[in-house]
Amino acid sequence: MPPAVKANLGYTPPDGGWGWAVVFGAFISIGFSYAFPKSLTIYFKEIQKYFTVSYSEIAWVSSIMLAAMYAGGKLSSILVNRYGSRPVVIMGGLMVGVSMVAASFGTTIMHLYLLVGVIGGFGLSFNLQPSLTIIGKYFQVKRPMANGLAMAGSPVFLFTLAPLNQFLFDNFGWRGAFMILGAIVMNCCVAGALMRPVKMKTVQKDPDAATNGTTTEKAGATEGIANLEAGGLLSDTEPKQKKGGCADKCLDLSLFKHRGFIIYLIGNVVMFFGFFAPVVFLAPYAKGIGIDNYQAAFLLSIFALVDMFARPGTGLIANTKWIRPRIQYFFSISVAYNGVCHLLCPFLAVHLGYAGLVIYAVFFGLAFGMVCALLFEVLMDLVGAERFSSAVGLVTIIECGPVLLGPPVAGFLVDVFDDYKYMYWACGIMMLSPGIFLFIMNYFNYKRLDQEERQRQSGTTGLGSVTRSIMEERGAGEERTISKDLEMFDEEGQ
Amino acid sequence: MFSPWISSLKLILIPLFWRGIYTKNPLLALNDPVTTVFRSAVLKGDNLVEKVEILKPINLELACTCDGNPNKLPNVTGFWRKDGIEIANSRLTVLLENEQYNLKKVFSIHGDSLGNYSCVFNGADKESKFDFYLTAPEMGNMKEKPIVAYVGDSVVMACKIKLPPKTWIWYKENGTEQELINSTTDPLRYKIFVDRNTTKLTVTNLTEVDSGVYICSAIYNIKTSVSHLEVRVISFMEPLKPFIAIVAEVIILVFLILLYERWGSQKSSSSPTGNMMHVDQMHKLTQDDNGIDESSTRKRKI
Repeated sequence: MPPAVKANLGYTPPDGGWGWAVVFGAFISIGFSYAFPKSLTIYFKEIQKYFTVSYSEIAWVSSIMLAAMYAGGKLSSILVNRYGSRPVVIMGGLMVGVSMVAASFGTTIMHLYLLVGVIGGFGLSFNLQPSLTIIGKYFQVKRPMANGLAMAGSPVFLFTLAPLNQFLFDNFGWRGAFMILGAIVMNCCVAGALMRPVKMKTVQKDPDAATNGTTTEKAGATEGIANLEAGGLLSDTEPKQKKGGCADKCLDLSLFKHRGFIIYLIGNVVMFFGFFAPVVFLAPYAKGIGIDNYQAAFLLSIFALVDMFARPGTGLIANTKWIRPRIQYFFSISVAYNGVCHLLCPFLAVHLGYAGLVIYAVFFGLAFGMVCALLFEVLMDLVGAERFSSAVGLVTIIECGPVLLGPPVAGFLVDVFDDYKYMYWACGIMMLSPGIFLFIMNYFNYKRLDQEERQRQSGTTGLGSVTRSIMEERGAGEERTISKDLEMFDEEGQ
Repeated sequence: MFSPWISSLKLILIPLFWRGIYTKNPLLALNDPVTTVFRSAVLKGDNLVEKVEILKPINLELACTCDGNPNKLPNVTGFWRKDGIEIANSRLTVLLENEQYNLKKVFSIHGDSLGNYSCVFNGADKESKFDFYLTAPEMGNMKEKPIVAYVGDSVVMACKIKLPPKTWIWYKENGTEQELINSTTDPLRYKIFVDRNTTKLTVTNLTEVDSGVYICSAIYNIKTSVSHLEVRVISFMEPLKPFIAIVAEVIILVFLILLYERWGSQKSSSSPTGNMMHVDQMHKLTQDDNGIDESSTRKRKI
């Protein structure tokens, strides 16, 4: 519902200015969220020896952290709806920092599971969701570009954290390294401080957007008015939230009636089964066909390097006037392209050896970057910046399953067939089919949307009717009050 | 045991072949002290090297086979070298049989006679040689970097080797001397764990004195294999310094950013009176909105 959603925001996003500082903050937050769990694996061997546990027991730390990061999505989106991005990100940064420092004093593996895994994971989820949400609040026209830049944080941080972790480990052992990492992660608080609540020209009573602690901007907000606003808003929104009942507001199940959201969800759930496994198994596959350790690790570096540039590049392309209106097609094509890469990988490896794998790493890096850059942009495009926070919370909770199951199931395939190529083919199909599915379904979706838009424009006129139709879309009772306010304001504003 | 493959020689086949024989070695070596073990390899063209790991004193037969040179001389001279020096009375004339030259010799190998043995074919002033490195099993590349541990904490050191030795012994290097680590005399501080081909030494209640080099030695009948591990014990103050520095940097940056924001909003609030019109509108709005919300709040409370 792109056209209607744009009108829904009720204000014009800055699309620049401080927005770029916010993108930088989101870059840092997203970078830590994705790269941190993966980079901790460097310490596993030493910790495994220290606590005398098996490799699978220590690998649980990473899995728990990733699981908590995805599961915390809903909680984090509720908090963002209530308090805005800034406090949540700062709290998330503190959580991870404190948990890492506490873990450096840990005496059993259980301590690590709880501190690094659970608390650390939740802290990271409090970084991820708000960062994505606030980009939607600051950008509309340049949003794909902003998303692409922010998502580029993940490969950049992975690139830097890996050697940094090695350095810390060599000089301070795992305990000292955890302590210093805790301090480094607290830089997320700096990123959070950058996420200034977006200053809107209009006064919003909309609970989703308004609770970002808005201040009036060019209206010349004096301290008094600002306080009144803040105080008024806080007392307003709490009863509003409770009124709908937790089930309705907390989970926003109305999203499940949203056609585009359902299409996105189905496509993504299938896709994530085969998304991360090829990355995880690239190095072992290379070693399996006889390539030495350093060259295998180099493959991952090539992959990360291409990924780093593919993300902002994709954002730039997605921002062009040719792609932006039909961005869903672009996304489904990049998902399908991933699938094609995986299907061809075994052929490249067998016939061209190391050179084939290098070619694969380059194309796969490009594909992976494209999908990652667009992943949240298309969700924003579908549900709008308002409901994005709740939507992304729902999506991450549901995606938790495939993301965590994917690599172990792939590993199981490798063990059963004793050959990586079946796993790559399975992943290829896992990505090609959602890509095609998304393409076809979005074709129908776009057609329906265009139909609805034409109906709306021809059947009714005036702002009031637009508001009414927005109301219908939302489908929640209390929205009537909001639209009334909007109408009132618009009359006065004009 | 002497496998008759002789045709195409790829380097990759040698370690495979070697492994095939090798797995049988330990059993034979343990059961029958006076066994003659056969080791052979085929030489072709360039110089080749092969490593042989020996567990206990044995009689070892080394055999080399060289494909006929392009010259196809009827006979060449073959002899053996140990560590680069020709072994006395080892020169033989080797005849060309089935397009090959064969050279064999049995050596009595014990702790002192380990080293580098080469079979050399010399014909028409051209020399081809094949090296056998005879050693006791060696431990893989151990970490060169020291293990870092903390005062009051414990540290675990591990050593691993391909074939199980008779026994493992740990030492601590004390200057030029090596001090035996005895876990029975000091059970609170040292724990030694042995599991066939791995061993772990746990040192608890670390102090700065415990820093240094630890040596794990794998004792075989023929020789002892050693590996060095360095431990560095540091106090908790060391990582604390960068930690505090980074936390201070975070606090300062957050403070600066919030300060800049406050300063920015103050600047805009103290801007010219053109804004006062908007202020009034906002006032009215907020009052109106508050009014509506109060009524709705009242409703909800009911």
